[in-house]
Amino acid sequence: MDPFSRSVTIALADIQLQTALDRGTTRGVNARIGAMAETTDAAALRHQARLARERALNRLPDLLEQLERNVVANGGHVLWARDAAELNRVILELCQKHSVRRVTKGKSMVTEESELNHALEARGIEVTESDLGEYIIQLAGETPSHIVFPMLHKTKEATARLLHEKLGMPLTDRPEEMTRFVRNVMRRKYLEADMGISGVNFAIAETGTIATVENEGNNRLSTSTPPIHVAVMGVEKVIATWEDYAVLVQLLARSATGQRLSVYNNLMSGPRRPDEPDGPEVFYLVILDNGRSRILATEYAESLACIRCGACLNACPVYQNIGGHAYGWVYPGPIGSIVSPLLLGPTRAPKLPYASSLCGACQAACPVEIAIPDMLLKLRRDLVQAGDPTPGWRIGMKLWAIAFKSPTLYRLGGRLVGWLTRLLAGRKGYLRRLPPPFDGWTTSRDFPAFGAPSFRERYARRVHKT
Amino acid sequence: MSARNDILNALRAALAKGEPFPKADSPSILPVTRLDPNEDLTARFVAEVERVKGIVHRATGDDDARRIIRDLLTDRCVRRVTMWDEAHLPLNGIEALLGELGIERVQGSNEAVATAEAGITSADWALASTGTLVLSSGPGRPRMASLLPPVHIAVLTEDRIVPRLEDYIAAQRAQRLGVFRGSSNVTLITGSSRTSDIEMHPVFGVHGPLELHIVLIENLG
Repeated sequence: MDPFSRSVTIALADIQLQTALDRGTTRGVNARIGAMAETTDAAALRHQARLARERALNRLPDLLEQLERNVVANGGHVLWARDAAELNRVILELCQKHSVRRVTKGKSMVTEESELNHALEARGIEVTESDLGEYIIQLAGETPSHIVFPMLHKTKEATARLLHEKLGMPLTDRPEEMTRFVRNVMRRKYLEADMGISGVNFAIAETGTIATVENEGNNRLSTSTPPIHVAVMGVEKVIATWEDYAVLVQLLARSATGQRLSVYNNLMSGPRRPDEPDGPEVFYLVILDNGRSRILATEYAESLACIRCGACLNACPVYQNIGGHAYGWVYPGPIGSIVSPLLLGPTRAPKLPYASSLCGACQAACPVEIAIPDMLLKLRRDLVQAGDPTPGWRIGMKLWAIAFKSPTLYRLGGRLVGWLTRLLAGRKGYLRRLPPPFDGWTTSRDFPAFGAPSFRERYARRVHKT
Repeated sequence: MSARNDILNALRAALAKGEPFPKADSPSILPVTRLDPNEDLTARFVAEVERVKGIVHRATGDDDARRIIRDLLTDRCVRRVTMWDEAHLPLNGIEALLGELGIERVQGSNEAVATAEAGITSADWALASTGTLVLSSGPGRPRMASLLPPVHIAVLTEDRIVPRLEDYIAAQRAQRLGVFRGSSNVTLITGSSRTSDIEMHPVFGVHGPLELHIVLIENLG
């Protein structure tokens, strides 16, 4: 079995995971639907948000230069990284330069791409994820399974056991008590940190402002308390104007969690000014490419419009059943099935474009109207053209094409298959197991025998009668 | 070649064949939240703040506001407070009130501010349709006062309430976006700190303040 099918099999059999997914995704879907329905005009707003992202992608290099100029004018520094390894190198150099020993981190998906935590820990730097979910996952030695709800795969019972075993929290099944316990643990970490590292939700070019979106306050603490703040963004995060920010940030909140606005929308323009009483003394913005410029040149450019709300994950019947880890890399769910093969190269994630029934729930949920099913189909086409299928599959598809182009062959084939399935099914009316290479179908369900008379025969009779 | 030039050149090469999205010129003009033009902004603001687990205390005037703040502090046995300078609050006499109650005002280092049990600030603006406070950093306006203490008390007058985020942005645009260049930090605060990380079950009071109190002073006339 290939690695993807193996992780899917494990995920489907994991009762805890199934419970957690069921509880989590249902709440997520309902919250989004309610919050989008009470806007001025959901369809028009999604289109407006989409245009805001398109505008930015059309002018990406110019906007990044404008952003850089304005960050510098605000007193900050801008650094660039071509790939994940360079990103880690750049941040490690900053740590050395400023003798950093302790880091607190706000949520950042790009640093998951580069596995920054491991790189820092390997140099003896203590890294603490400060988002509640990220912190619990770090304690468990796991990776996020959702873009917005990183520990969606964990039940509250498993969380309580973990906090009990690792940190001695008294056992409880109340999320309120677990949250309060972690708050107290984290307080010292913020005050002792030498550097705060955060992600970026939007970078507004016209004033050089970094916007983060959060509910807990950990991101504000990580970016305001330590003397150095390092913000890390992918090149695609830049947007042109504050008006675009207003629509995007609100659709992000409504799509991600069903809130009208997230609790803390933090807008940071450089380090503290000389006359300001607090805030970081030094501010760095690190801009990462890591394959994005390559994607911009392709028909998959619209995947860069994604604002990482996670709505397509919650809405996806595949994600709802297999969870995030089965996807095998940083970005799970429908958007991950596109982004992972594009960023990693198609051969590293060959099964992901097929991990979809193409039902379209993802596209219907997307606040920036990304045509996810279309792109999944195109990725499948690319895989075929790149020689992915086995010779048997190729010959089979050729024969299928011949049969389906000729009405005579189609009729004969239909009769033959109908007769065969009825013969094999016997009185039961269905087949428990199909012969190879069709046995994939019957691993999880029975195959019903074809009905008699066939549709074509009945249709012909009816036309004849009238 | 530098990483910067490599990346910018790669992006320019990607766009060399033309823009990937040709018809993306129309600006963002449709506001997101519904708001009846005749709706009472104060009532809407109060309702929205309560939805997100903040508490609004309506004050009929400065004396009333000082009484509310006194009650908030004494009910919680607050011993130490961190606050914005009085020049940046819409009412005076808070420092005197602290002295009267024997409450110490802490400021300066994060370590000192972290010992405060309450933080008192004002807000530049409030957004009615989402129940949001807008706070900008500056001299006498530390970020930490609304962040580190477990109780955040924000004092503002009713005339600071504007309908929506879009109206706030439009007002800043009219001022050439100066606040986003001049303040290193502008924060939009909508309710008490919360998380839904554990099974998407909402819990209030995470890393930010556990309680958000907004003292809203009625405008005369």
